Amino acid sequence: MSLSTTIYNTFFKRNSIYVASVFTAAFAFGIGFDSGVTTFWDTWNKGKQWKDIRHKYVQDEE
Amino acid sequence: MASFQAVKKSFNLTPTVRALPSGVPAAPLLNLAARAPADPHAHDAPPSWAGGLSKTSSGLFSKTYTTGPAQRLFQQRLLHTSAVVKDAPEVPDFSGYRAKNTDNTRALSYVMVGTMGVLSASVAKSSVSEFLKTMAASADVLALAKVEVDISSIPEGKNVIIKWRGKPVFIRHRTQSEIDEARSANWKTFRDPQSDEERTKKPEWLVMLGVCTHLGCVPIGEAGDFGGWFCPCHGSHYDISGRARKGPAPLNLEVPVHDFNDAEGKLVIG
Repeated sequence: MSLSTTIYNTFFKRNSIYVASVFTAAFAFGIGFDSGVTTFWDTWNKGKQWKDIRHKYVQDEE
Repeated sequence: MASFQAVKKSFNLTPTVRALPSGVPAAPLLNLAARAPADPHAHDAPPSWAGGLSKTSSGLFSKTYTTGPAQRLFQQRLLHTSAVVKDAPEVPDFSGYRAKNTDNTRALSYVMVGTMGVLSASVAKSSVSEFLKTMAASADVLALAKVEVDISSIPEGKNVIIKWRGKPVFIRHRTQSEIDEARSANWKTFRDPQSDEERTKKPEWLVMLGVCTHLGCVPIGEAGDFGGWFCPCHGSHYDISGRARKGPAPLNLEVPVHDFNDAEGKLVIG
């Protein structure tokens, strides 16, 4: 059985499984997209954000 | 009709070709060996021994000596100048474009539709959650939502008024006699029946919103007929537990959500 047939039988044959996997994938995609964009933002603005320069101004009192 | 026949006969034209006495038209250049093939598309005429026309004394003579068609094996004509008749001639032939493996194309179609669904669902979820975030309190509001009061500096029998969310809050450090007075009152007969135990977390600390429940004035402390608060606007009297006892006020003074931080001796409102 080819790969496409396996995929079809696993995900697409039953509509309930199809819709459920679509929503699950949407949930995972949302989390992944958010973290990816945040990582990109932090990389792009490295050294400019408060969390990067906080140690220069605030000494934590232990 | 008979007269018409006579007229018709009288007008018969003479034949243009002379006829022999046998009735055969005199056509000396007529080639009787040339014959049309039985199959008009065939390239070869049937052989002469199979039959044909011949001129005899009694006239033209036609005879076929074979019984079956004098044809060779049937062969489909592959080269035509005329168009081939099809069932639906206006439909082009798409067989060259057909997929050889329909499983792959089917799975790909479902994947594309599913990907579209995934993107739409995440866009919809993001839209809804971003819209709901606009209704949440902003950070500056949340920063003011709680107020801490150092209650260790408030002596017994004194009122303190602080501002919380733009409204005054009364904090009274009650004496033991005031607690006894508030708890001994027959609160079930009051306009807004509420026991003193419900209104205070610790009996010596009374925390209330300083807004008259009638029309929103700020009552005056340690005044009125019941030793509690008195609203100067319309004359509502509140007792030492902040309950409406006299005047137009319909409800007791409101008790905000508050908590005691015993370790630091602080009162947290909000």
